[in-house]
This record gives sequence, structure tokens and C-alpha cells, in this order.
Amino acid sequence: MNWSFVLSNAITLACIYGTLAIGISVTWSSLGLVNMAYGFIFALSGYGAWLASVNISTNPAIVMAAGILTGGAGGLIVCLIAFIPIHDKPSFPLRALIATLAISLVGNQALLWYFGPRAKSLPRLFGNWNADILGVIVTSDKLGASISAIVLLTAILLWMRSSRRGLEIRAMMMNPHAASIVGIGVRRTGFYVMALTGSLAGLAAVLLAQTYYVAPFSGITPMIKGLSIALVGGLGSVPGAIIGAAVLGVNEALTSTLLGGQYVLITQFLLIILVLLVRPRGIAGILDKAREA
Amino acid sequence: MSDTSAPRWIDPIACHYPEYGTREVETNPHLSHQVTWIETTRFRPKMHLVGRLRYYYKWPGHGGGLWWRTRYWPTRRRVLNIRGEYTPKTKRREKTIVDKRPIWWTLAFLAFLLLPFVVPAASYNTVMSAAAVFAIYTAINLCWMLIVGTAGIFSLASYAVVGAAAYGATYLAIHLGLPWWALPLIGSLIGLGFGVMIALPAMRLDGFYYALLTLGVVELCRVYVVQSREFGSATGGLYGAPSYLPASLGQSAKLMVSYYIAILVMTLALFTYRFIDGKRLGRLLRMAPEKKEAFAQACGVDFIRARIMVFLLSSTALGFIGGFYATHFGGASPNLFSFDTLLLSLAMLVIGGIGRSEGAVAGTVIVVFIDRVLIDLGPLRYMLIGAIMLGVVLFLKGGLFGIKQQFRTWRNKKKSERRATRAEKGGEMLPEEATEIEDKDQVFFRRFDKMQRDFLKRLVTDAVVDEHRTRPLGQHSEALERLLIYFRRQGQVDKYAVMVLEEFKAYRIVALSGHRGTAPRVVEDKNYPSPEEAYHALFLRRVQDLLES
Repeated sequence: MNWSFVLSNAITLACIYGTLAIGISVTWSSLGLVNMAYGFIFALSGYGAWLASVNISTNPAIVMAAGILTGGAGGLIVCLIAFIPIHDKPSFPLRALIATLAISLVGNQALLWYFGPRAKSLPRLFGNWNADILGVIVTSDKLGASISAIVLLTAILLWMRSSRRGLEIRAMMMNPHAASIVGIGVRRTGFYVMALTGSLAGLAAVLLAQTYYVAPFSGITPMIKGLSIALVGGLGSVPGAIIGAAVLGVNEALTSTLLGGQYVLITQFLLIILVLLVRPRGIAGILDKAREA
Repeated sequence: MSDTSAPRWIDPIACHYPEYGTREVETNPHLSHQVTWIETTRFRPKMHLVGRLRYYYKWPGHGGGLWWRTRYWPTRRRVLNIRGEYTPKTKRREKTIVDKRPIWWTLAFLAFLLLPFVVPAASYNTVMSAAAVFAIYTAINLCWMLIVGTAGIFSLASYAVVGAAAYGATYLAIHLGLPWWALPLIGSLIGLGFGVMIALPAMRLDGFYYALLTLGVVELCRVYVVQSREFGSATGGLYGAPSYLPASLGQSAKLMVSYYIAILVMTLALFTYRFIDGKRLGRLLRMAPEKKEAFAQACGVDFIRARIMVFLLSSTALGFIGGFYATHFGGASPNLFSFDTLLLSLAMLVIGGIGRSEGAVAGTVIVVFIDRVLIDLGPLRYMLIGAIMLGVVLFLKGGLFGIKQQFRTWRNKKKSERRATRAEKGGEMLPEEATEIEDKDQVFFRRFDKMQRDFLKRLVTDAVVDEHRTRPLGQHSEALERLLIYFRRQGQVDKYAVMVLEEFKAYRIVALSGHRGTAPRVVEDKNYPSPEEAYHALFLRRVQDLLES
């Protein structure tokens, strides 16, 4: 086991899981909805990309766009079912949590029922070559995944910083009540946010499918990893999620080299519990004020 | 009198002289006095078919029997809460069962006891093993409900506790050769330890942070168990725990005995739920839900202690059930930690209604039936469960057993909406004002007065004014007569009157003060040469005041 391999692996996974964590975090802070159907959106967009690669073409851009678009559509479905009807009802957060869990149950079983239990594999989007960066051999899929995740995330964050819609989303993240008072439509913003975070899940699904496969239940573990990163970072904070992804990625790399691969989850959760016991609102509890649960 | 083309006036005192017949005259057309009433009382809003009162069956019976009641021994608690009273209407004694839930519980318990004897022989194995699974899951869900419903902490780690206890008990039983009855006890100890572990972060974290953390704990357990060799990663579970069934029993007898023992465990869990949720600890916990901790603390409730207590108690009970699970199924499988198990058991809680023991039982019946008995449906059965769960969450506030309460709330809302439309319609007095005023007669009088004024305003026409100008004193049409009667009936304060300055030469209009000793005030600076003209000017003034009001 060499260090550079582990490190590059950890960075790639941190990029992908960080994408998921940012999606979960943004959904929670702007809509007050813990999207437990995120794993379902993830698996769904994997299948969307697979269908595109089988039926349309294996052009990387088309496959990736298909995954992202399916993810956005999945986000809209979740929004229509679990956010729009109950967002102004009593005990919304709990009901939305249960509703998204139910969507995840139905959706995953529907995928299993329709596509069968056999895993599908996507075509190699980034070719099959190796790069030598400062003496570290990096395979094309890892480099491509990291770079495209970073580029797309940066683009989305820039869009959120500079556009009118992004301003609305950020206003909802700061104070949803005040945002609705100044005329930002809660439902409309809900659609933007869910489409955006859904497409983030789609991106992560396409990128992760380079290493793993597309399967009906392939979304659960990435969702839980994304959730834990979002937890460590503090729900609702984008910089917190990035820091959390880095911390957990380093932890994963260190644990798997020093102790062994089966101890990764254990050290990860011990780390999460430790961080949360010290900082109940995550790392970003210091950086900015999180939304009240 | 109706609004016909040639209305006639009938002399009302003509009936005193029947020998002369009725005296009728043609009169000018006018509005019927009933239109206001008809218009006001016409019901406009759309109404739904909603009942008004709760229905209770009234049992007949003499009052003497009411005092001799069966009570649970050390307490004064009655088996059935029966209220008896004399009806004021019939003067008879009648009884009402206020709370029918004990009856339903008894019937359900009898049904569970009789289940093995009514199951068709073809599906005996499927149904009986499903029923035993149902009883164990119900027991787990009841203990989970203590944390989710009573304490209001959204913990997802219950199955992790059960699984840890089952695995630990099986492991120890295999390696130390323990008898079957030691397994639940070992399980309770493991559960207690696990409870301490998950109770600690619950003190610091709140809401979803805790829910997601416990979800992570479950996933951690699953991955550990799947990867660990001594916990049976190769065989897909750890098996080999001693069973409580004697080996000499036949297949169907084994099923029946294990079913009854599982029902016994479920009953124990029900009693645990009852004695934690319904007693002091449950009261304290429901006093201090999420985000109301500060209030509870200010009231002197030590909610941290109460939460630790409920975590420890329910985890111990869950550990006991985990140990029982191990002896029941002969081991433990990583399936206990899977996300699907968690989802299905959450569906059980949600469908029945969170925070109710009957909800846990009924939800488990539904979900286990779909999951274990309708196996032919394949993945569709999970979609069915998910769809039920989704429907319940989107449309119901408290699950299936909250429907009654939700319907009553909705009905009360409709009732009060109807009441509000009624008050808004005729009332001169606003509802807030009406509650303040001492003399409630005033409320109704002013409502009536407003209706009457609205009607009289519509009677004022040029014809009526002209009629009064020509004949101020006599033989008026009905419309004019109604106007004049209304004017005469007003109170003395600021009532217009004609003052004689000089007889047959000068008259003027004044307003009475209404108080003895206070002179009337002069209204206008104009003298009228004849009383008729003064009458008419006064009439115009009153009409003007009426139209302005």
C-alpha cells in the first residue's frame, strides 16, 4: 500500500462525497428538509446515465448531462411529493423526513423491480490513461472525477453567489421566514433548490459509477457518507461541508493505511461523535449560525 | 302586503264593524316588510355534511350498580370508565362508556390468542411464523416508541440495540455454552451498555443531528458485522444460539408455542410501555419535548435525568428482546441492521401513529402482513408499504389512530367557520363588543335595529315624501306609516320636535335634550309659517338622518 495511491483515492472520494454533502446541506438549510431520498435520486440518475449511454451515445458529455438532468428531475419529484404539499403544515421537518424515507423505499424498490438486481456499468467517461503529477501516478477516472466535481461545484457556488436565484436561495438559507416576508416564494425556491441538489446527486452518481457500479441500492452508502460529512461540517454550511469532506477523506486515508480498511467506518463515526460532542452544530457551528432544527 | 302592481290598503279596524264589510283603498306600491328577513336569513355559504355532536351509545341501567365497580386491586382505577347520570329530559338513569379502548384491547388480545385455531391449514406455516415475527417486532416498536413518541427524540438506533444484543448474546452462548434463558438477561445487559453509549450524544445533540448520527451508528454496526469473521461474515449471520423449544415438539406445535411465547413478550412490552409512558416518567418527558426544554427546566422538570432514564429503560428492554430474538431465531443476521429493516419498522410506527401503543400494534400488523404474507408480490409489496407510509405522512397528522382526532379538529374548524359567517351577517355589534356588554338584549336589539333600518331605507321614495308633504297628519300608505312608526319609537335624546313660537304664524324645529331641566337645542335658523310645513320639514330631517345612518 503506497501513500500516494491512498491519498489520491481519498481526494477523489472526498470530492464526490463532498458534492453529496453540499447537496444535503443546502437542501436542509434552505428548505428545512432532510432529504433522505437522496440515495434514491443518486441511484435514479445513475440509471438515467446508463440508459443514455445504451440508447443515445457513449459520448462522455451526453452521459454526464443525462445523469445530471435525471438527478434534477428526481429532485423535482421529491420536491413535488414531500415538500410542496406539507411545507406549511405542523411538524413539517419530521413529516418530510419520513416522507423522503418513504420515497426512498418506494423508489429503490421500483428501480429493483424495473431494472432487476444486476448492477450496470457506465462507459469510461475520462478515457483510460495515467497522469504523473509530482511523481504520483493518478488514473484518468480519478483525476477526471476530481476535476469535474471541483469545476462543477465551483460553477454552482459561483452561480449561487452571483445570480438572482442564488441570492434567493441564500436568503432562504439565512432566514426562511424573513425571506418569505420580502417576497421570495418558498415553493418556487423549493423547486430551484431541489433541482439543483438533485443534479448535484446526479453528478456524484455519474462520477462514482466510474469506480463502482450502478445498482438499485447503490445510493444508500453514499447518502449516509454525505450525511455524515454534512453533519461534521454542520448542516447548512457550504464551507463546513468542504472542510468536513477534507477531514473525513484524510481520516479514511489514514485509517486504511495505518489500521486497515475495515476500521474506516468505526474511526469515522468516532471522529463524528467526537466533533459533534465538542461542537453540537458541527465544524461550521463556529463559522456561521445554522438554521434552527 | 306584497309588491303587486295595484296594492290595496285594508283598514285594520274594519273587522270591528263586520256589518259594514271591509274597507279598502288603493295605495301606492311598496316593498314587503318581509324581504329583509328573507334576505338576511337566507343561507349563503357552502356547507358540508358534517355532524354536530359526538355519538355515545346510552346504556340503560339503574344507578345503584354504578357504585359497585371492579377496580384494579391496589389502585382505585376502574376497568371501564363508565359515567352514569339522570337525563334531565326523561328523568331516567343512563350510562355512558366514556372510554371504550379497554374493550378494544381485550377483543384484540382475544383475537391474538385465538389466531392459531382459525388460520387455514394451507397457509399455517407462513401465517404463524409471520405472527411470531409480528409479536417480536411489535415489542421492539413499543420500546422504540418510548423514545420517539414519549421522549420526542428521533432516534433510529433501536434496531442497532436489538441487533447488538442478539449478536452479543449468540456469541456468548456459543462460546460459553449458556442455556436459553440466560440469553435475554445477557441481552439486557448489552442493551443497557449500548443505551449508555447512545444516550450520551443525545444530551448534546438535538433534532436531526441525533437522528442522522444514530442512522450512522446503524450503518456502522452493519458494516462491522458484515466484515467481521467471528460474527459470521461468511455464513451471512451468526447462528447456533440455544432455542427455548424442546426438541421433542412437532413442527406445527413448535410454531404455536413460539407464537404464544412471542405474544407473551409483546404483552410484557405493552405493560412496559404503559408503565413508562403513562406514569411519572412519561409525564415528565412529554412535558419537555424538543425545543421546549428551557420551559420544562424553568418549571422544575429535570428533563436530562428523565431522558437518560428512558434511554436506559428502553435500551434494556430492547436488549431483552434482542436476546429473545436470538433464542427465537437461533441466532442473528446482519439484516437487523439493514436500511430496509429500519425503513420498514419506521413505516410500522408511522402508519399506526407515533406516540400511541395501539398505533405500534396496528402498524406492525399491517406492515408484517404485507411483508411476510403477501410474498408473491415481490418488490411490489415494499412499494405498497412505502405508498401507504407516504399517504399517511402526507395526509394524516397522527397516523391511522389519529384520524378520529383529525376529523374532529376539521369538523370543529368547519363549525367555527360557519359560526363566523353567521355573526358577520346581521350583527351590528362586533363579536368582541358583544362579549363585553352586560345587557345581552342590546346585542339582539341592535341587530334587529340594523335590519329594520336597512329595510326602511329602501322604503324612502319620492312618492312617499310627496305623500307626507300633502298629508302630514293622516291616512298614510303602509310605507309611510312604517317610517313614521320607526321615527316615533326613537329615544328622547336628540329627538326632533316642533316648537311653537307664535300660534299659526311661526314654528321651528328643535331637538330634545332628553334630560329634565335641560332646554331643547335649536336645530336650524328657520321659521315655518304653518304646522304642516314644520311637520314636513321635520320628517325630511329624520329621513335624511335615516339615510345617512
